[in-house]
Amino acid sequence: MKGMSQGELAGVLGVSRQTINSIENERYLPSLPLALAIARCFSSAVEEIFNPDKEDMK
Amino acid sequence: MTTATGTGHRAAAAAVLVVGGGAVAAASWVSGDHGFAVALVAFYVVAATVAFVWAGGKGDVAAIMRAGGDERQRGLDRDATAITGLVMSIAAIAGAVVQTARSADPGAYGVMCVVGGITYTVSLVLLRRRR
Repeated sequence: MKGMSQGELAGVLGVSRQTINSIENERYLPSLPLALAIARCFSSAVEEIFNPDKEDMK
Repeated sequence: MTTATGTGHRAAAAAVLVVGGGAVAAASWVSGDHGFAVALVAFYVVAATVAFVWAGGKGDVAAIMRAGGDERQRGLDRDATAITGLVMSIAAIAGAVVQTARSADPGAYGVMCVVGGITYTVSLVLLRRRR
């Protein structure tokens, strides 16, 4: 995530730095509320930030 | 659904160790094995102290030990709990089968199988109503 450290973003969102790291490395797909919060934080649409494979959504 | 990191309580895991260990130590004391009971108390006091110190950290395990954590950490805890339940169920079923094959009473293994089966069924019925 550009312009912000993982720790800073974690602090803004109220989650752990490890969780931000896992999302960034595509090991963890966040819940819809968290995905929306991340998108709002970067003034972007959710689909601009997350593009999961169809396999992940089954 | 909340996404925020729950605060939890640093003493959560230590409390479980003290209460659980205390119960086992008390049972041992009642059975007459006083030396073993004292050793158990000493062991669990050390374990609870380690858990309390560890729970003050910043990692995933520390957050789970505080019974807090964010959605991912709670998910890790939930998955680990599910795997533990599955393995314990398999062990209980295997134990009951072996005991039955020996023409012995399945005893505690049988009780664990019944409790596990009932718990799963009731949980499934109740959880379905919520989702």
